[in-house]
Amino acid sequence: MTVSTDSDASAQAGAPADGPASSGAHRFGAGWIALALIVGILLGAGAGFLGARTMGVPGDTSAEAGFLRDMSTHHAQAVEMSMIAHANSTDPQIVTFAGDIALTQHGQIGTMHAWLRDWNLGPTGSEPAMAWMPDAQGSVRNGLMPGMATPDQLATLRKATGKDLDVQFLTLMRQHHLGGIHMAQAILDMTDNEDVRWLAGSMVRGQQSEINLIDSILKRIQTG
Amino acid sequence: MSTPGPERVPSTVKVDKTSGQGKPPAAKSGAKPGGAKGARPAGGPKGKGGGKGRKPVTPVKVSGGRNWGPIAVAGVVVLIAVGIIGYGVFASIKGGGSWEDRAGGIEGIVNYREQKNPQIDSQEHKQGPLTYVTNPPVGGAHNSTWQNCMGDVYPEPIANEYAVHSLEHGAVWVTYKQGLAADQVAKLQSKVEGKDFLMMSPVANLDKNISLQAWGYQLKVDNADDDRIDQFIKDLRVNATLEPNAGCSQGNTTTGPVQAAAPGAGMDQQGN
Repeated sequence: MTVSTDSDASAQAGAPADGPASSGAHRFGAGWIALALIVGILLGAGAGFLGARTMGVPGDTSAEAGFLRDMSTHHAQAVEMSMIAHANSTDPQIVTFAGDIALTQHGQIGTMHAWLRDWNLGPTGSEPAMAWMPDAQGSVRNGLMPGMATPDQLATLRKATGKDLDVQFLTLMRQHHLGGIHMAQAILDMTDNEDVRWLAGSMVRGQQSEINLIDSILKRIQTG
Repeated sequence: MSTPGPERVPSTVKVDKTSGQGKPPAAKSGAKPGGAKGARPAGGPKGKGGGKGRKPVTPVKVSGGRNWGPIAVAGVVVLIAVGIIGYGVFASIKGGGSWEDRAGGIEGIVNYREQKNPQIDSQEHKQGPLTYVTNPPVGGAHNSTWQNCMGDVYPEPIANEYAVHSLEHGAVWVTYKQGLAADQVAKLQSKVEGKDFLMMSPVANLDKNISLQAWGYQLKVDNADDDRIDQFIKDLRVNATLEPNAGCSQGNTTTGPVQAAAPGAGMDQQGN
């Protein structure tokens, strides 16, 4: 029975193949087309929502994006302080050291902004500073993230000269680096993104070694 | 994006094969998500009874059988096409567009860039006092020194000539009518302080309580609680720069009118 049915079917399939095409289109019906449209739109939208995750691109409220935005702002102040010292210090070692910090961190700001752009995100988030970092509530004071100098400290630094300037700069930068390392370590605990890990890892190592340098210069200045 | 395509293509092939063999009541094709919908009406009125079990399938009336292959293919093609459109819809709703699109969506924002006004578009450096066509200015020739825009909160009016240079670097400049209520000023200050590419100052003869500037864009609002302030900062800060990667430090940190000084002498070393 079944067998014969099958053979019948296959036999028929050949001949009327041309005919039904047109009548089939009619019977396909508006209902089915509408259903296909709805299902398709839902699938497409769903793929869009999942797309960001599956392609490994962090989203707007991700810890990665928060880190890049906050670290850009944090770095910008390091550049600011370093350029003041670079311009005003008379100690050759500090002039060089400050220039190194300014160039490195300004370059890293460009890298971080470029990644946000690659991820189709803006340099400004919709969440407050440090929201991405666990247990960081209350760490932002007057808009300043950990380690950042206050407007008063910066104003004093701008006016300082000689040994006064050098000590202020090194002390502020030491504090600034400690805050920066803290943030970089936090994102290393949170992300698998290779780019972010690479950059944050370099910050931890680089700034730790710079803290050692700061300590040695401070010793020289204060004993000398 | 590309994800929906490859996923659905294989099912096309399978469905195609099944129906190509000419088995309208095939229970197998029913297992395929794509084919299922197409295959069911295939059996037509009669197929319904036989569609489930494969035992007494005798009443198969193949004469009414259609060639489902092309229809299924067409259906899947339509699905993919609509899926792509669906993604497009998603992307536009989610705000995947450019920052210009998002800025343009802020109610009440004025886009001076599209006016092509040479007085606003000029990026020339000129020393001494300059005049601007809007108050506060949103672009145009400016001093070679810029105003420090590292989240600086200036308690007194600052020089337009320096501030416009900060806009060129990508800063958003928050201004308010001099004498605005202290709690309103405090709210604005909390949005600005500590954040690079932002600065804030009072303006003597402002026609509204608050005015936000980025290069070529302006938004005037009455209240510091207005959501559009955050929106403006989010969409335009850094994005509106004409010199990508330019900085906000090393600028003038004093208030008051532009100094009639020689180029390069107006930096923060002045220290007053």
